[in-house]
Amino acid sequence: MSKAAASQLGRARAVLPFIIAAVVIVVVWQIVVTLTQPDPSVLPPPIAVLKSFGRLLGNGQLIVDAAYSLARVFSAWLLSAAIAIPLGLLMGSSESLDRLINPFVELFRPISPLAWIPMAILWFGIGEIGKVFVVAIGVFFPVLLNTIEGVKNVDPTLLNAGRVFGCNTRVALFRRVVVPASLPAVVVGLRIGFGTGWAAIIAAELVAAQNGLGFLIANGMDILRADDVVVGMIVIGLLGFLFDVFFRYLQRRLGHAR
Amino acid sequence: MTDPAHSSGKPLKIVGVAKTYQTRSGATVPALGPISADVAAGEFLTIVGPSGCGKTTLLHLLAGFMSPSDGKIIANGIPISGPSLDRSMVFQSYALFPWLSVVQNVEFGLRSKRLPRLRRRQIALDYLRLVGLQDFAERSIDELSGGMKQRVAIARAFAVEPSILLMDEPFGALDALTRRTLQHELLRIWQERQRMVVFITHSVTEALFLADRIILMSARPGRIKAEWRVSIPRPRDVTSSELVVIERQIYALLDEELAQTFVQDTTPTPAEGRQR
Ligand SMILES: Nc1ncnc2c1ncn2[C@@H]1O[C@H](COP(=O)(O)OP(=O)(O)OP(=O)(O)O)[C@@H](O)[C@H]1O
Ligand SMILES: [Mg+2]
Repeated sequence: MSKAAASQLGRARAVLPFIIAAVVIVVVWQIVVTLTQPDPSVLPPPIAVLKSFGRLLGNGQLIVDAAYSLARVFSAWLLSAAIAIPLGLLMGSSESLDRLINPFVELFRPISPLAWIPMAILWFGIGEIGKVFVVAIGVFFPVLLNTIEGVKNVDPTLLNAGRVFGCNTRVALFRRVVVPASLPAVVVGLRIGFGTGWAAIIAAELVAAQNGLGFLIANGMDILRADDVVVGMIVIGLLGFLFDVFFRYLQRRLGHAR
Repeated sequence: MTDPAHSSGKPLKIVGVAKTYQTRSGATVPALGPISADVAAGEFLTIVGPSGCGKTTLLHLLAGFMSPSDGKIIANGIPISGPSLDRSMVFQSYALFPWLSVVQNVEFGLRSKRLPRLRRRQIALDYLRLVGLQDFAERSIDELSGGMKQRVAIARAFAVEPSILLMDEPFGALDALTRRTLQHELLRIWQERQRMVVFITHSVTEALFLADRIILMSARPGRIKAEWRVSIPRPRDVTSSELVVIERQIYALLDEELAQTFVQDTTPTPAEGRQR
């Protein structure tokens, strides 16, 4: 078998279980609808959701809302990572800095990003800044903690090797060994952070937005369009899933055997 | 006059070196020495001794990862104050940088020497050729077998052209056949380049096969218990009568020390005795 064919087969094997799961969900959903005959505003049948999907896609609303949510998450994620990664690298390599900052981290960490939504509205109104702020908090802690762990878990023998082979200063060792060695852990943090950020933006949009996927489902609820709500939920799930797959791929590319 | 073959460095002097570790609980662990020894430029020295007698400690002191609690180590005429490219190392666990390709690993130390890029690459490829891995230059580390990894590590260590090579059980994790091949290769490279090698091993046979001189260390805190000069030409047959004689002597003394280690490990110290 050719290499390309083999890898195609491998990919099919990886995707197949997800397709089966999706089919099972739709079938069970249809069975429940058939058996219980619920009001469509409570649980619409799959076919109605498919129709709404076509409508929302056709009139562009779905694309616009998804784009809003993604843009918010990405800007918050970049912003947060830009602070969390350098801070994590420093905290991981300096015992005293870690001791100094860790209490603040541990005291703020249990406060869910969602608990910040009211404060964000009070401080920033319902504009973009407030939502980016909430998401940034959700992204921050996983990225920070994974980065710190990554740095602390760098194999001490690699540090010795770095020193033997010419990293004479802490800065050189940091740049040439510590940073690249902890990169896989940073990517794990970025992946988990994206996941929490994605959850947070939907919640923030439920409460305070005029667009975005969170708004789409909140609005669907208000106007008793459960089919729109389910479309929104499916798109939220799919996008979250796809980004997770992308990050896992990145992780494998960078995640050299340790 | 200096012997041209041995001109790449001065002797290494270990003067009354001892190391005591401080554990977190505040206890002190005398791990090594005091020991004194001179190693000649270009000499192949192997060190054997019971587990935990301080061999790695000694090598780390020679590398400059830490300073001795007592005594000093003089390399190239100056006391060691930290790691240096002139004292290169091969680690038991390879310690290759997994985010770099094979050739980039070999180049790592050359980058520190601030050589121009092309020159660096050329030297690295030369040393990869020396260990027979020229065709694997662009591979990633994960794709290599243990034996290949250790070859890369050897190339990396030789590429910086140090006068001293420190090896801590470099072949300890390899299967017997790979081990044998690498022993031959190491000897070949060493004879070509004439660097001082300080080589730690658990294998008496390996020591006999490789060394100009064998030092046997006592149980912790390790001191020099005995040493043998092995002036039999290479390649050696370790079953030859001369080497078997030395082997017997080493095992006899090693057994004494192993018994010692056993007693140390199983006899409760007074403090422990009281706790019971
Ligand atoms: N960082 C440390 N803190 C406290 N004790 C240590 C430390 N490192 C080593 N020791 C102790 O010092 C002694 C010597 O250790 P070392 O690793 O040098 O032995 P070794 O001869 O290399 O052993 P092996 O043959 O098993 O590799 C051991 O008893 C060990 O427990
Ligand atoms: Mg050891």
